[in-house]
Amino acid sequence: MNNLEYYTPQSVEEALKLLADHSPSIIVLAGGTITMPLINEGISFPEKVLGLKQAGLNYVNSDNGTVKIGSAATLSQVQSGSGIAILEQAARSIGGWAIQNMATAGGNLFAPPPAGDLAAALLALDAELVICSARGERSLQLENLYSGFLTTVLEPDELVTEIRVPKPAGKTIFSKFARKGANTPAVVTVAAHLVFKGDQVDSACVALNAVGPYPMRANKCEAVLEGSVLDADKIGAAAEAAANECEPFTDSIASDWYRRKMVDVTIRRALAGIKG
Amino acid sequence: MASKLINFYLNGRQTEVLVKPLTTVQTLLREQLDLTATKSGCRQGGCGSCTILVDGEPMLSCLLPVEDIQGRQIITLEGLTSAESLDTIQETFHETFAAQCGFCTPGMILVAKALLDRNPHPTRQEVIESLTGNYCRCTGYEPIIQAILESAERMNGRGS
Repeated sequence: MNNLEYYTPQSVEEALKLLADHSPSIIVLAGGTITMPLINEGISFPEKVLGLKQAGLNYVNSDNGTVKIGSAATLSQVQSGSGIAILEQAARSIGGWAIQNMATAGGNLFAPPPAGDLAAALLALDAELVICSARGERSLQLENLYSGFLTTVLEPDELVTEIRVPKPAGKTIFSKFARKGANTPAVVTVAAHLVFKGDQVDSACVALNAVGPYPMRANKCEAVLEGSVLDADKIGAAAEAAANECEPFTDSIASDWYRRKMVDVTIRRALAGIKG
Repeated sequence: MASKLINFYLNGRQTEVLVKPLTTVQTLLREQLDLTATKSGCRQGGCGSCTILVDGEPMLSCLLPVEDIQGRQIITLEGLTSAESLDTIQETFHETFAAQCGFCTPGMILVAKALLDRNPHPTRQEVIESLTGNYCRCTGYEPIIQAILESAERMNGRGS
């Protein structure tokens, strides 16, 4: 703790310069709801901390069919400002009121499962990330961010600055199955976006959280759905495909066996809701 | 480790403090300023007993570095009480026995204050939803929910 330094950059440029100068020995703190408990508990002893709250990244705005969420926008801002139902539902399903006023959209992408449910909704909407460093800017589909449990493809000097969400063209649903009604980690979280052509599913985007090392798309489930008319047989086959392809784990919330069962059940219920 | 001067408004008064980097608002309030209504419960963001209002919004002081409240309006439970009397919510909690051990009460009252400030006529469901981040291990919550609904009635001039 002796050399601890907390930087509070006032702009994105300043933040990127600090990251370039100090990475990989600097950690990024946005809302603090993941990192501060580790520091309070004596699990994490950072020497340098980069605070993002004052860097001008706390915005949510929408133009031309795309919602742009600054990575330091709080979950409360996502609820009131995004105008996309499943993003609002996902943000409301995380923590209590005070946590939602602190936790950020960008930070939640890096929450270890079963936390991190916002990413499920963002994956279902095929969100894109803007990633910046002092070296430049690039974009990355959220789907390609994760490489394993708590690991991503980001370089140490890179920062997620914005999440770009295309407004959904089809029907969406967000369903979090948990042990309590609110402020609770998920047994499984399902988010889906289906675009129909007539009766047929033209394209399907189904995302899962809490049943793998990171929030992920259920590609085999999507393949079953695409081109189908969402009858009971297809819904059953899609739910089974997702239950087979997920990689659930056991923790104090649920066993891997139970999580796999509930993937099947939650997807059946979710898709029946879209159909109705 | 350079300590920093931070300015903010604490219960309406301009306040300047010198803090070490990443000191939490909870530690500042309790250990430097002797304002101990803000409780130290889990220090994990899980229990809500350290809730304060930042620009009117409930936040958890155990997760909030002091550097992040530069220039902002902080309200703690001490800020609700005037020299003469308790706040209506405090009075109602007291009169309706909405506290047992009392450890969660400061957080509960501040969340209730934030709720009633923006929604003077909350439904029972809205009260319950506002409290999901605040744990009480004594009351079973019912007396707290009733006290907040009763506070709303008193503030709206319909209660006793």
